[in-house]
Amino acid sequence: MGGLTTSLLSGLEALNASQAALSATSNNIANSNTAGYTREVAQLSENQEELTGGSVIGGGVSLNGIQSVRDELLNLQIQQQTSLQSSADTQSSSMQSIETLFSSTGQDIASTLAAFSSSLAQLSANPSTASVQESVLTSGQNLAQSFNSAANGLASAQTAADQQVTSTVAQINSLTSQIAQLNAQLSPTVVAQQNGGTIQDQRDQLVQQLSTLVGVSVTNSSDGEVITTANGTPLVMGGQSYNLQTATGSGGLQQVLDSNGNNITSALQGGQLGGTIQMRDQVIPGFQNSLNTLASQFATAFNTAQTQGYDSNGNAGQDFFSIPSGASGAAAGISVALTSGSQVAVSSDGSAGSNGNVANLSAALTSALPSGQSAANAYASLVYQVGNAASNATDSSTALSQSILQLTNQQSSVSGVSIDEETTNLIRFQTAYEAAARIVSTVQALNTATINMVS
Amino acid sequence: MIAADVRTRSVKAEEHLQLLRLLATELERAMDAMSRNDLPELEDSIANQQDLGRQLVQLADELSAASRPSYPMPFQSGDSDVMQEIRNATGDLQRLNFRYSVLLEHSSRSVALMASLFTSFQGQLQEDSGARPKHQTWSCRM
Repeated sequence: MGGLTTSLLSGLEALNASQAALSATSNNIANSNTAGYTREVAQLSENQEELTGGSVIGGGVSLNGIQSVRDELLNLQIQQQTSLQSSADTQSSSMQSIETLFSSTGQDIASTLAAFSSSLAQLSANPSTASVQESVLTSGQNLAQSFNSAANGLASAQTAADQQVTSTVAQINSLTSQIAQLNAQLSPTVVAQQNGGTIQDQRDQLVQQLSTLVGVSVTNSSDGEVITTANGTPLVMGGQSYNLQTATGSGGLQQVLDSNGNNITSALQGGQLGGTIQMRDQVIPGFQNSLNTLASQFATAFNTAQTQGYDSNGNAGQDFFSIPSGASGAAAGISVALTSGSQVAVSSDGSAGSNGNVANLSAALTSALPSGQSAANAYASLVYQVGNAASNATDSSTALSQSILQLTNQQSSVSGVSIDEETTNLIRFQTAYEAAARIVSTVQALNTATINMVS
Repeated sequence: MIAADVRTRSVKAEEHLQLLRLLATELERAMDAMSRNDLPELEDSIANQQDLGRQLVQLADELSAASRPSYPMPFQSGDSDVMQEIRNATGDLQRLNFRYSVLLEHSSRSVALMASLFTSFQGQLQEDSGARPKHQTWSCRM
């Protein structure tokens, strides 16, 4: 039999339950590394009290549903994954243009390297023939040009990405300004008095567009919506937007600055801007370094072989290739230093008709460079890296599209949620994913087994 | 006897190729099921994947042993086409596997978030024991 104390306690329990539910949501989401999730709450209600013998019996609290929270969570996930997908898409698109620089065209590095090797083989058989000597010179020039072409192509891709940074920042500023204006219209008074749904929808669409441009974190507070970049740089706070800026950095590339002038370029992630910056500052420079190292090491090795011999005029061999000092810029700057085929150091002792040094020249193409690989193999590795990066970016983009589709399907599924049923399904999903993760490992291991089997 | 061994290995190589292709189909099917939230189909596909994975590992081991130089009968020239097809199918499967792992990574995170949300709200009403007035407490797991 309950009394007034029981009734008061039950009321208090209901309030506590509501508080606990709020706290649970907040903590769980925060623990799951998801920023800002405080707007919606569980639909809890206090049960009907009972009057028994003049006493009030508290009915406790009921959980009616969590639909709105669920939808918000799905929205957040869609937004984050859209941002990641946009980044992968940007990288995939950029990688496709880079891939063409390394495809087999007859003028690519692999082809011109093979032609250079072939010309040296002919020189070995005909060391005194002027036309064969000239042919070596021409093949060397073609090889140098193919290095130049690949380097210029990479530089162009980097420049295109750099220009994209500036235009994307301008788009971001335009969107954040529009979002701030809508936020101002969504002041609590307006929302209380009018239907703010249309404005909210417009704002949500703009936030979605913004997330395709850059990874953002959206928080709702009593002061309105707060949007920051992933590193916490404010973009929108209620009715106020904060423009990003660009400035030319020491390397000549555009840097992104926050509204206070701090450089946040390396901290930006996700979206078109994050993907572009990653391509420009990490992926492309990685390929440039590999290409420059190859050009520098190969030219150095060939020059060393050349200086070991004597040319057709009996002079000590001089450098065949000219390269900038240091590896940086080697691929763009490599050129043939000799002006005549007669300067190719065919002889090992300076005697006429000798081909003693051609073997050394040829060996420079087939011997391991300081990188540990021959020139041809080092280039093949680079081509593989480029192909793999392109393939991974495309596959990531496709996978994220499917993940977004899954979330969208879940969002548009039946609005009434049975908590028990959905929890059961989620547990089944988790179990299935754990099993699937083991299959991923099995398939990876299978690759090694297959290589052993077919090699 | 040796001819029989060669035939057996050729048959196994063909079987291996078919299994690789079947597994690739299953990965596609699983990814499609995930995007549609079709749990029964996903579970069915994963069961098939496990089965195919087991068979493939076993066959790969057997075929690797057969390709060792010490083995009395190396692969025949006619097997090279099958081996090339196996190499290609493995490459395709690895690409699909990469996509599968990316999808699993992101989808698992979404499911974990949803699960934590639902777990939070799976409150239980508990009553104190004893004869004194019952206090109902709504609790939820954090």
